[in-house]
Amino acid sequence: MTAALFVQALFAGLTNGFVYALVGLGIAVIFKGSRTVNVVQGEFVVIGALVVVGLLDAAGLPYPVAALAGIVGGLLLGSFTEVAFIRPLIRRRAGEDALLLVSIGLAVAMSAAVLYVAGRGSYLLPAVGGNAVVNLAGATVRVHALFLIASGAALVLGLAWFFRHTMLGLSMMAAAMEPDGATVTGIDTERMRTLTFALGGALGAAAGILVAPLTEVNYQMGLALTLKGFAAAVLGGLANPLGAVAGGILIAMVEAFGIVFIASGYKNVFAMSVLILVMVLLPNGLLGRRARAGG
Amino acid sequence: MRRISCGARRRRVLLLIAGMALSTAGAASAPARAQATSGEPVTIGAILSVTGPVAGVGQPERDGALLAEKIVNASGGVGGRPLKLVIEDDASNPDTAISKATGLIRSTKVRALIGSSNLPSTVAIGGLTDPIRLPQAALSGIGPAVEAKRTCVVHLLAPQELNARAALTYVRDALKAKRVGLLHDSGYGQAVANSLKAVAPEYGVELAQVEKFEIGATDVSAQAAKVKNAGVDVVVIVASSATPFRNVHDLRIGVPVIGSIASSSYDYVRAMGEAAEGVIFPEFLIAEDPLPHQVKFVATFKEAYGRLPKNYEAAGWDAVNLLAKVLAEAGPEADNAAVCAALRKPLRGVLATYDFSAPDMTGLGLSSFSYSQVKNGSFVRLPLPAR
Repeated sequence: MTAALFVQALFAGLTNGFVYALVGLGIAVIFKGSRTVNVVQGEFVVIGALVVVGLLDAAGLPYPVAALAGIVGGLLLGSFTEVAFIRPLIRRRAGEDALLLVSIGLAVAMSAAVLYVAGRGSYLLPAVGGNAVVNLAGATVRVHALFLIASGAALVLGLAWFFRHTMLGLSMMAAAMEPDGATVTGIDTERMRTLTFALGGALGAAAGILVAPLTEVNYQMGLALTLKGFAAAVLGGLANPLGAVAGGILIAMVEAFGIVFIASGYKNVFAMSVLILVMVLLPNGLLGRRARAGG
Repeated sequence: MRRISCGARRRRVLLLIAGMALSTAGAASAPARAQATSGEPVTIGAILSVTGPVAGVGQPERDGALLAEKIVNASGGVGGRPLKLVIEDDASNPDTAISKATGLIRSTKVRALIGSSNLPSTVAIGGLTDPIRLPQAALSGIGPAVEAKRTCVVHLLAPQELNARAALTYVRDALKAKRVGLLHDSGYGQAVANSLKAVAPEYGVELAQVEKFEIGATDVSAQAAKVKNAGVDVVVIVASSATPFRNVHDLRIGVPVIGSIASSSYDYVRAMGEAAEGVIFPEFLIAEDPLPHQVKFVATFKEAYGRLPKNYEAAGWDAVNLLAKVLAEAGPEADNAAVCAALRKPLRGVLATYDFSAPDMTGLGLSSFSYSQVKNGSFVRLPLPAR
C-alpha cells in the first residue's frame, strides 16, 4: 500500500466518519432525552438538505442564509415530531417498543412525503471551495471534505461544551437522567424533551447540509443513514452522545482501511465484525461506562 | 366528499354529451389527427418499479408507456378497440410483483403483461405468465437459465453479457486501451461485472482493478483511489448512482470514463455535475441526435413532457406499442398462445429492432448500440468504433 492510498483512506474514513457521527449524535441526543430510538433521524438529514436546495433554487437566498434556514427547519421538524407524536405517547405511558414502532412509521411516512414534494431526483448543494481539491502526500482530497471534517469537529466540541457548561444543557441532561428529581428542582422535563428533539433535528439538518455537496441527496437515503448513525451511536455508547463520534469515526475508518487493505466487497463485513467485537467486549459501547458514571 | 346538486349534475351530463358530440364531429372531420375507438377496451397490464431502488428506471418507463397508450388510442386503438393500460408498482420487490401480477391476470384479465423494470421481479412474474402462455414484454435483459425456456417472455433490453461486450468493444476498438479499472455496485453492477470478467480476455483487455460498493453508497473514494493506484487506461463504472462518477472525477485520474445504460439518464447526469463531462455511454437512444426511426418518438415525447427522453422512456413506449400491434394482428378472439406466437418475430421498435424469435428473446446485437459522450450536460453521438 502506498502512502497516497493510506492518506486517501484516512480522509475517506474521516469524511464518512463525521457524517455517521453527526447522524449518530442526533440519535444519541434524542435517545438520552426521551429513551426513543429515533428512526426519523436520517429523514432529518434528507429534509434539512432539501430545504436548502429549495431555498437556493426557488427563493434565490444567499447560501449561508439558506443553510441557516435549513438548520432552523430541522429544529422545527424535530420539535414538531416530539410534540405531535412522542409526547402524546409518553403521556399515555407507552413503552419503548411503541415509541420505536411509531418512529419507524414516521420515517416511512416522511420519506414518502419527500418523494411527493421533491420527486425521485437526486439533489446536490454547492461545495465550499467549488470542485477544488488539495493534494496531500499524493492523495487528492476535496476542499469541501476538509470543511466537513472541520465543521463536524467544531459541532461536536460545541455540543460537548453546551452539555457541560450551559444551564440549558445541564437541565436537558438532568431531565433525561432523573426526570422526577429534575421536576422537583423546577426543570420542565417535557420542554427539555422537546428541546432534545429540536437539537436532534438541527444536528440532522446540519449533517445533510454538510454532506449534500459531496454526495447527491434523494428521498430514499434516509433509512440507510439512520442505520449507519445508529451503529455509530450504539458502538460509542448510546447513553453518551459524544460516544457516537468515536463510534462513527471507528466504523468509517474500518470500512476505508478494509477497502484499501483487503477487498471492497467485504467492507460491511469488517465494519460489522468490529461492531460485534466491541459490543461483546464493551457492552455499554466505547464511552458508555463514563456516561453511566455521570460523564 | 364534495356533494353535487341535481341541477349541477344535469348540467355536467349535458356538457359531457355536448363535448362527446363535438369530439366525435371533430374526429370525423379530421381523421388524420385522431381515430375513434369503440367497443370493449383491450387491457394490457404493466408491473413497473415506480418506487424503491429501481425507481430511476421504472418511472421513465411509466412515462413512455403512458404516452404510448395515449398515442395508440388516438391512432385507432387496438384494431378499433380502445387500449387500456393498467400500471401497478412492484416497489422494486419481486414478492410485490407476484401479488400485483396475480391481480392483473386473474381480476383485471389482462391480454398481455409488461414488466418488470427489474430482473428479479421479471423472473418472478414469468413464473405466472409462462404456464398460461400470456405474452410478457420484460423491461430487463434475459437473466437466469430458466428464462430461456419461457418463450412467451420477450425482453426489450440487452442481456448483461451484451452490455459488457458493448463497453469492451469501445475500450478495445476506440480507446485502444488494455488495462481497465472497474467500479460497480452490488446490484445491477454486479451482474454486468460478472459478464465483464468472463468476456474481457476475448477482447485482450485486463481488468486491472475491480472494486465493489453497495447500492446507495454515499462515498466510494477509497475504492476509486485503488483504481487510480492500479494505473489503469480507462475506468468503467456500472452503477445506478452519480456518486462513483463524482469520486472518480475528484481524484483527477485523467483517463476516459465509461458509464452504463443504468446511469445514462438526464437525472443522473445532472447529479454528477462537473464529473459528467466527457463520460462515454454505450446506449440506444441519443435524443439530441436520434437515429431516423427515433426522430418521431423524440418529438412526440418532448411535446408531451417538455423534456427529452432516454433509453427507459423508449423501452416503456416500445413495450406498449409492440404489444398493441401484435394484439391487433392476432385479432380480438385470439387466445394467449396465438398472441404469444405472433409476438415471436422481428419487430421494429424505437429503442432497437428486436428479434423476439432469437434464443435470448431479444435479438439485440452489438450493432444495436450507439455511443454517446456528455458535453455541457447533453449527449453527443460518437462515431461507432471501427476494428
